[in-house]
Amino acid sequence: MYDETVIVTENRPLSGSHFLLSVESPRQAQATRPGQFAMLRILGRSDVLLRRPMSIYDLKDKNSQAKSGRQPGPPQVLQFLYKAVGRGTRLMSGLKPGEKVGLLGPLGHGFFEEEYLPRAHQTNEILHVAGGIGIAALLLPAKRLAEAGFRQRLFFGGRSKDDLVGIEDFRPLVRGMLMATENGSAGYRGFVTRPLEEYLARHSKKKFLLMVCGPGAMLRATVELAKRYGHPCLVSMENRMGCGLGVCLGCCIRVQGTGHEAYQRVCTEGPVFWAEKIVWDTGGSV
Amino acid sequence: MSARIKSGWLSQGKGQASPSEQFVPQIETEIAGVRFQNPVWTASGTFGYGKEFSSLIDLNDLGAIVVKGISPEPMEGNPSPRIYETESGMLNAIGLQNVGARRFLTEKLPFLRTLRARCVVNVFAYSTEDYVRCIEILNEGEGIAAYELNISCPNTRCGGMVFGSDPKLTEEVVAASKKAARYPLFVKLSPNVTDITVFARAAECAGADALSLVNTLVGMAIDVETRTPRLWNVTGGLSGPSIKPVALRMVYQAARAVRVPIVGLGGISTTEDALEFFIAGARAVQVGTANFYDPGSSVRIVQGLRDYCKRKRLHLSEIIGSLKVPGR
Repeated sequence: MYDETVIVTENRPLSGSHFLLSVESPRQAQATRPGQFAMLRILGRSDVLLRRPMSIYDLKDKNSQAKSGRQPGPPQVLQFLYKAVGRGTRLMSGLKPGEKVGLLGPLGHGFFEEEYLPRAHQTNEILHVAGGIGIAALLLPAKRLAEAGFRQRLFFGGRSKDDLVGIEDFRPLVRGMLMATENGSAGYRGFVTRPLEEYLARHSKKKFLLMVCGPGAMLRATVELAKRYGHPCLVSMENRMGCGLGVCLGCCIRVQGTGHEAYQRVCTEGPVFWAEKIVWDTGGSV
Repeated sequence: MSARIKSGWLSQGKGQASPSEQFVPQIETEIAGVRFQNPVWTASGTFGYGKEFSSLIDLNDLGAIVVKGISPEPMEGNPSPRIYETESGMLNAIGLQNVGARRFLTEKLPFLRTLRARCVVNVFAYSTEDYVRCIEILNEGEGIAAYELNISCPNTRCGGMVFGSDPKLTEEVVAASKKAARYPLFVKLSPNVTDITVFARAAECAGADALSLVNTLVGMAIDVETRTPRLWNVTGGLSGPSIKPVALRMVYQAARAVRVPIVGLGGISTTEDALEFFIAGARAVQVGTANFYDPGSSVRIVQGLRDYCKRKRLHLSEIIGSLKVPGR
């Protein structure tokens, strides 16, 4: 974990109000494990104090970008895919190349902690299920799994076509992509859980591992499907965070357990949890 | 009230040092017989049990670490959402999730004991008997510099602030805790009162060795789209730079009302903030919310204080309570 002031190299607008922010930090880029996040701080704003937790979307070797064909070396650049919705992300969307931001990372337990791997190897296919900007937590895991030769598939839902960002990055990694939009502007009309359920029902003999990230209602519905069809499910959780260091206890969610173990920190024990560990039905827990 | 520390250089007299001689400012501070290498501490609930920050800053540079509120039994805390960012501040309603006094002694204290920074243990309970019980458990621990009695937490259902918003209850819980305590007893006061000096005096009368002020201000925020509170607990404690002027005023008032030392906190994030509290009368300060977004701030304030003292050729003891009010 490093606390650094880093330089923005690019802040590219994508569809809708999505952006892809690139910042340079060789130390953090090389320390990142798939599914981890970083806390990004807008500098020079005394009214917006707290850092914002951001999934580390991708890592890049800045030299290999310039000279195509060269084998990429160790990464120096971290990329964050985000949607400008609140005060922090709207400020972020105004960042220009050359400007500085505070970056604390990499943080948390990602998708490839020791305990997860044995179950990944027992599956026929990894199913990534993303809701909206939740896609940002899944690219690095998908890249790592593709390198290791896993079969993968992406289920991606959003409000409209504009929300389906980053699909080109997934295309070479997965055997298939199924989209759903609430307004029907791309893929199935409705929630992503519909094509997911059809797929699970059609392949009821196969063993899957689900990796999920998205808004609360989508997570709950996906976890319910995984449970019904008997597949293990890893979820990358989101919550408001004060520090990212495990000290403010602001990001705690309800998990199986009692006493002070009834809540765990998304920033430290998470953000990736086994779905069955999380208590999903308590008011306000996620 | 004098915070001067007896050491060799003081008897020499400041005026005798030649201008070319390097001025070495004295920033140690002494409270209730405990010496702290400097007056910059980290506030309870913003620094975990210290170790969480060990890869980011040198903990040995701090004067003290005030650990997260410890209760006699482990506490699970409140459901989410527990925090919400406001303009220049944040609301929290964590609900004092902690490992409990026994596990603190076995799992957290051994590491804290190895540091040059002192360990101050914030103590929380729901009844006078439980405050005493918590202190009795903690008394078994070695290497605790002092207790900080939290009678001002706004985020738990039936305890905490109740003690800190009734002078009689303040006296009762402080007297009982003082009697039980093996280590010096600091009392952390709530700003959610009409007259802070009443509570400062009540705590002092009951035997408090020092006062920490202030805890968070009770506040709230509402999501107008859903017309629901931003926090599960509906209300929460406001902290951060937005509360600093209120905290500073209360430190100033309390420092004039009591003889015991004051530890000032509330929105401190820079050296200048800390200096304001010293000038208003605080003998030490605590950095709180700033630890969340700027983990290096406390250590930078230690250096900034040294630089200020050097530039002004003043020792910390000469700054404390040195406010000049023109024309009076």
